[in-house]
Amino acid sequence: MTLQVENLSKGFGDKDVLKNVSFEVAAHEFVCILGHSGCGKSTLLNLAAGYIQPDSGTIAVDGVPVVRPSKSRGVVFQDHSLFPWLSVIDNISFGPEVQGRTKREARTMALEYLRLVGLEEFADHYPGPLSGGMKQRVGIARALAGQPDILLMDEPFGALDILTRDTMRRELLRIWLQLRPMVLFVTHSINEAIHLADRIIVMKSGNVASIFEVNMERPRHLQDPAFVNLLTGLEGLLTSLE
Amino acid sequence: MSTPSTNSVSTPITPTANQTRRKTAYEPSRIHRILPWILFFVLWEVITRLNGYLEFTNPNYFPGPISISKSAWALYQTGLIWESVVASTLRMLAGFSLGLVGAVLLGVLMNRYVLVETWVGPIITLTGAIPCLALLPLFIIWMGIGETPKIVMIAWATFLPILVYTLDGLRSVNANLIRSAMSLGASSKQIFLRVVLPSTIPNILVGANLSLGLAFSALVVSEMMGAKTGIGFIIVDARNFFKINNMFVAIILISLEFSLFAWLMKLLERKVISWREGGLRSSIER
Repeated sequence: MTLQVENLSKGFGDKDVLKNVSFEVAAHEFVCILGHSGCGKSTLLNLAAGYIQPDSGTIAVDGVPVVRPSKSRGVVFQDHSLFPWLSVIDNISFGPEVQGRTKREARTMALEYLRLVGLEEFADHYPGPLSGGMKQRVGIARALAGQPDILLMDEPFGALDILTRDTMRRELLRIWLQLRPMVLFVTHSINEAIHLADRIIVMKSGNVASIFEVNMERPRHLQDPAFVNLLTGLEGLLTSLE
Repeated sequence: MSTPSTNSVSTPITPTANQTRRKTAYEPSRIHRILPWILFFVLWEVITRLNGYLEFTNPNYFPGPISISKSAWALYQTGLIWESVVASTLRMLAGFSLGLVGAVLLGVLMNRYVLVETWVGPIITLTGAIPCLALLPLFIIWMGIGETPKIVMIAWATFLPILVYTLDGLRSVNANLIRSAMSLGASSKQIFLRVVLPSTIPNILVGANLSLGLAFSALVVSEMMGAKTGIGFIIVDARNFFKINNMFVAIILISLEFSLFAWLMKLLERKVISWREGGLRSSIER
């Protein structure tokens, strides 16, 4: 399975948000899209999800163009977007249920994913009073329970405090190593990108500025000279003027 | 007059030594809760007695609670009270449900089909401004003096506020919730039933709460014109035969009946949106 992005352009009004973007993502690959806010990275993700349509160019999965949202592309939102009227377990079983599984099957699956994110004791809670990190865990479990081939994550840890953020990053890595889905992860945190990604696609004002392969062993450490090198390089690239 | 809800009575918290304050919201004792009621009726009785001696106003027009209770008992024995309460409750339930279902259905259609909105919207705007009580005589001429005009009028009073709030709710469903559902594989029917409708329910309930008062006045007024049972009928009947006491009985019945409906509404609300929290009560622990 591959995700192909070819000559993708998208504008809103007279502002071009994406200009002729092309890249490919391979199966089981973890790709981070890194850039400032307003560089078009979220637009790219919305296009990949099928929420919006490109002005020109295509996004395709195994050659089939993305024209509408589909259960094969699960999405994790920055604001988690859990259904507030459903309990945690019902939120997670939503996907399996609407895909036609029986209530019981869906619940069994949901429990499995809930255990994966370590929240089984909160199964019957409503999402409202949960902490930001816990909500996002539920968000990830819900997306995974939909059995997607590709996981699209739009700054999922952007609203979390720095300590929770680090924990969540490790959790996500653990889950990814276990299930190995293809992940497209949008972030503006250079650290986060280096910790997580197989490949980092750096975006600048609607263009792919550069693509970095990250070959370090996981878990990666901030003190690692390779980490520091990459960090410096990315920082230089992102802060340099046009 | 309304039923004393829990926590409605509060006293200033006096800090005492060794007071463990663990989520024990101030619970008024039972006697504390009914004391205001007792006081109200005692005061009323005292004033009427005084009036009996001093005649500020004609004592016949201003009966006290004891005299009213006697009349209520007499009226109860004729069977009229029970009959009227049942009749009014049934009318209210029928009219309110009709209005509620109608408003939600039309709201959904207007939200879904632009054509419906274009054609129905202006009509609603035009007719919505007419107070439903003004339409009652017309309804009676069209539909006779049976149950139909009463139920239609209650439904009409219920309809508009709920429609407005339903539309508002449908338009403001969080787009990311819909997107989430789509990416989990939900069909448009599933999205409507499992995402859009549940998101809108809090708004529908706000409308329903607002409608309750309007629907209730519609009930009483419609019973005052051409009815043989019902709380409104007791008032008119009492006026015709100059039974002031019975009028008071009816007024008390009205407030009791309204409390019943307000309580049913609260019950429904608590059941349907138990997931919701917020407001002052939950923002700080006392």
